[in-house]
Amino acid sequence: MAPLLEVQDLHVGFKIFDGLLKVLAGVELAIGEGERVGLVGETGCGKTTTVKSILRVLPIPPARLDGGEILYRGRDILKMKAREVRQLRRTELTAIFQDPLQALNPVFTVGTQLRDIVLDSLGAAGQRLTRKEIIARCVQALEETGMPDPERIMSNYPIQLSGGMRQRVCIAEALIKAARLLLADEPTTNLDVTIQDQILRKLDELVEEKGMSVLMITHSLGVVMDLTERVYIMYAGMIVEEGRTEELFARPLHPYTQGLMKSVPKLTGEGISKGIPGRIPNYLDPPRGCRFHPRCEHGLPVCQEERPPLFTVGEGRRVACFLYRGGGR
Amino acid sequence: MTETILTVDRLKKYFPTKRGTVKAVDGVSFSVSRGETLGLVGESGSGKTTVAQCIVGIYPPTEGEIRFKGELISKEFKRRPKSLKREIRIVFQDPGSSLNPKRNIYQILSVPLKVHNMATRRERLARIMNLLEIVELPPADYLYKYPQAIGGGEKQMVAIARALATSPSFVVLDEPTSALDVSVQAKIIKLLMRLQQELNLTYLFITHDLSLMRNMASRVAIMYLGKICEVAPTVEFFQSPFHPYTKMLLSSIPVVSEEEKALKPAKILSRGEIPSPVNVPPGCSFHLRCPMRLEICSKVDPTPFEVEEGHLVRCHLFTKDAVRT
Amino acid sequence: MVGEQRIGLWAVLARKRRGLAKGWYKYSRNYLSVLGLVVLILIGLTAGLAPYIAPYPEHAGAYTNFREAGLPPSKAHLFGTDRVGRDVFSRVIFGYRFSLLLGVVVLSLAVPSGVILGLLGGYYNGTWIEVLIMRITDVFLAVPPLVLAMSIAAMLTPNLINAMIAISLSWWPWYCRLVYGVTASLRNQFFVREAELTGASKLHILFKEILPNCFGPIMTKVTLDMGIAILMGASLSFIGLGAQPPTPDLGTMLADGAKRLPSEWWSTIFPALAIVAVILAFNLVGDGLRDVFAVEEV
Repeated sequence: MAPLLEVQDLHVGFKIFDGLLKVLAGVELAIGEGERVGLVGETGCGKTTTVKSILRVLPIPPARLDGGEILYRGRDILKMKAREVRQLRRTELTAIFQDPLQALNPVFTVGTQLRDIVLDSLGAAGQRLTRKEIIARCVQALEETGMPDPERIMSNYPIQLSGGMRQRVCIAEALIKAARLLLADEPTTNLDVTIQDQILRKLDELVEEKGMSVLMITHSLGVVMDLTERVYIMYAGMIVEEGRTEELFARPLHPYTQGLMKSVPKLTGEGISKGIPGRIPNYLDPPRGCRFHPRCEHGLPVCQEERPPLFTVGEGRRVACFLYRGGGR
Repeated sequence: MTETILTVDRLKKYFPTKRGTVKAVDGVSFSVSRGETLGLVGESGSGKTTVAQCIVGIYPPTEGEIRFKGELISKEFKRRPKSLKREIRIVFQDPGSSLNPKRNIYQILSVPLKVHNMATRRERLARIMNLLEIVELPPADYLYKYPQAIGGGEKQMVAIARALATSPSFVVLDEPTSALDVSVQAKIIKLLMRLQQELNLTYLFITHDLSLMRNMASRVAIMYLGKICEVAPTVEFFQSPFHPYTKMLLSSIPVVSEEEKALKPAKILSRGEIPSPVNVPPGCSFHLRCPMRLEICSKVDPTPFEVEEGHLVRCHLFTKDAVRT
Repeated sequence: MVGEQRIGLWAVLARKRRGLAKGWYKYSRNYLSVLGLVVLILIGLTAGLAPYIAPYPEHAGAYTNFREAGLPPSKAHLFGTDRVGRDVFSRVIFGYRFSLLLGVVVLSLAVPSGVILGLLGGYYNGTWIEVLIMRITDVFLAVPPLVLAMSIAAMLTPNLINAMIAISLSWWPWYCRLVYGVTASLRNQFFVREAELTGASKLHILFKEILPNCFGPIMTKVTLDMGIAILMGASLSFIGLGAQPPTPDLGTMLADGAKRLPSEWWSTIFPALAIVAVILAFNLVGDGLRDVFAVEEV
């Protein structure tokens, strides 16, 4: 099955006063139709840069694309004309972000904003609907997100809504567009845990129903466990591990992933570890070879010289670590 | 050595606003023993941060008493004796705004030392370097850095160093790791635990992350809309939670292993929105979302009941008459 | 012992040097700002060395020579002579002295008072102190600054000193408002709270915690204001409320020469250009400073 989205060997840098930040150093990932994939990484690992690259909203300059392709249905987004990318964003590709208050316009009601999306997507498809039908469409989308009392919400302003409700509005926007690929950048990080649970379950249902693909970007391993089938672990601008979520979490292979798993507070078993020693590398002068090696307890001599590619250790299971060079330990 | 160091008695804090009175804290009582860590858990609107702020003196209570080492301290910080400001310290939630962006770390850490005359100018440098070592930040690297140049985790460590600068006995930690990555969080939690041992500190740890409490707290209290729902020693808490809200919280926690999934209390699925503290529902404030509500729940606010030793629950399902084991 | 070297005075100075280098980098990205700085330095040097540079320093005071009056620009008189025979070029150079002096004095009076009142107003947000300070500020701000300055100057005897006082009095509210805004927004930030909870004195909080955060906007405003203050001074002199003849004030020179336009254009145009130059230079420098202090996002 050809993947819906494929990121291949993406290199992105940022030019600043002190030099060039080599942020993304060869990111690769793939999402199939109707697949739910997670991208897990901590602050500063480059996940938001990756999302912005996919959506082509990176500010260039100071950012620069130093290589790689992002193929959507086989066509390279990075090489498309601005008009084509816009068309893509209007219809198939959509995103929800961490702070819905920033994504929603504070001076327009929810109804107005949803209506605008409807009109825009109709325009993209060359269709027209009556005013009543448009409003009905908006209300329907809100209902599908589990929003209580959708008609009343239509006339509310974003600041009048709670965080969870605002996020539901953003999800409704994605539904109206009938997007094929949803990029969710930390959508529930700012929400209370009980609300987060509701939103994630609802997202799960909707994705199932509509056959949407989702790329869930987060630093929370638990969220990824609940929602995704496959997951990528990202560190310092590279993908370090990939695999089926359940399997990967049950048996993490990359030292970074192992360190991460041990740091997560759990309800059973032992307590949390001391975390991972060291800091994320300085992107101005990243370590030669594997970017994780300064913090890794296993360091082999080769780790300091060469960048480990993703070695296959099982079906759909890859690790970027020289410990697994032969395909197994 | 389990003497009580802090007692909070029927604390209330109301904020009058144009929309109505915000009952941020509405009758909270608990005590903390020396050397222990009490975890105060709740979501937005629960009032947990306001409780912390009253204890530290950012607000004077509307009603109720707070006693520290037997002395009445329920006043605003302006009225508190200086010695108290040395003993009770706070680490705030947002590392970004808890350090002055225009001061470097040396200057930030010298403020508490100067204010409480804890070191002469010569000694100050040594003492600050010592503080940085205690929180595992190499002084040579960090002394003159500005907050923008260091990461969130490191900022929090500086904030912790600042809190410890006056050799306090009680530290309030208001969601110190909520904004941080999980690996950094682990480092800081371990650091806090070690410091607690070494310096004989007592912690009031405020968070929304219940699973974190299992690793850190000796007792846990859950708050909802200004009142405490349940208090218990940690182990018991996770083994046998009673209050429906507690169960809802536990089942909402995203977990990473099958083992944990099995542990989560079955099927109190979260539903409904958290009401605003301006509009607290009558009776038991949780009744609108509670899957196990009885008729009495919408009319009468339950009183706390000791179900087992040290384990209190505030729920009509658990009263003297109604309790089943 | 490398660690030891990184601590102490040496380290602090090294960091400051690097900070300056970075600041210069940001500043110099806009060539106009650099140009403005160069012009400003030139003007400053000219004004400072006026007695040595000016070809006819005695013309800066009471001097008349009707035989040489009204001469167009020539080698002997670069900017020509005015209607009583004084060399315009020398007077312009000396005029710069007064203008810059005015700018410096006005801002030295207005800025500290405005900043202190702003700090107090912002810190005591919500109390009567704030109400008192800010409402008085509002009253001052309600009147257009030039009109206000004019009224005050008219009440006092017209001379340079009183012009400076008048302008200062109409200037401080803007700084008050500026600093008030920053202070009020910082008031409830955690680091201020923390300082309060620790027990730091109000003085410390206002000057060591809050003020450093106002520095950027204040510096930018000061440079932009220098130009405007000079302009106000010139305007007051133009209508006769400022420096009186024979003081070589640029505004007075403008007024005098205006009567002789367009035939003896040099006695007006050159002072006018001189005013434009200094104001423009300050504006460009102010813009550049704003870029330096702007927080960058990566």
